[in-house]
Amino acid sequence: MGWTRTPRLSRANRALRINTMTNKIKELRAKHNLTQEELANRVGVRRETIVFLEQGKYNPSLKLAYDIARALEVKIDDLFIFD
Amino acid sequence: MTLKQYQRIKLALTFVLAFVFSQAIVLKSFIPPIILLLASLLLLIMLRRRVTEIIADERDYLTGGKSALLAIQIYSWIAVIGMFILYAFRDRNPAYEPIAVTLAFSTCLLMLLYGVIFRYYNKISLTDKKLVYIVFVLILFLVLAIASIRLFSGEDDWICQNGEWVGRGRPDFPAPTVPCE
Repeated sequence: MGWTRTPRLSRANRALRINTMTNKIKELRAKHNLTQEELANRVGVRRETIVFLEQGKYNPSLKLAYDIARALEVKIDDLFIFD
Repeated sequence: MTLKQYQRIKLALTFVLAFVFSQAIVLKSFIPPIILLLASLLLLIMLRRRVTEIIADERDYLTGGKSALLAIQIYSWIAVIGMFILYAFRDRNPAYEPIAVTLAFSTCLLMLLYGVIFRYYNKISLTDKKLVYIVFVLILFLVLAIASIRLFSGEDDWICQNGEWVGRGRPDFPAPTVPCE
């Protein structure tokens, strides 16, 4: 009998009942033919930050979210989705 | 210069500094390590400017904040437990007491500094009262430093003279039980 494991929310998120956030960075980055390194340089962060963002393990600041959205030529709403 | 090169130089400098500091303690010569420390800091500042890659971003600052808080908490717990143990055994060795007091003071200072800096970044830096706050904190630290030196300067203590413990000033604690040699 198979079962899927639901993503584990952090203690802070559980306490605040904050929903998880997914994003389309990887998809849109591929569409623009950008590497993680190139996108990182454009928005002024390290490559690892882009890696964790794509994996949904890090929630960016509003400024970073805005910078990524601008670099990928989309609105923030189209880039980040709250489940 | 790449980030990796910068980090390698930083690591190498850390090893060199650690070696020089250990030798300075053995040889009791403290001027060369201080000069080397200042030179290393200047060198790192210069090299940092030459790094073309991003050295730290918002995630690093977030992680740094969390790590610093946890490190302070762990250090404080260790220092407090160590202080009580050393203070409990101060009769066995008089040297335990100054170590216990140093641990207690360093913990208080660390927490006070954290509180002051946290308040600054959390509230004060967003207002126009930055200078007033900095001056107030400096005066507070100066007063605390003078009071600490006056209260804990070790004027009232037991000193070993000709094989006997002799009270200097008016020590409010009994003479050490260990033999005076």
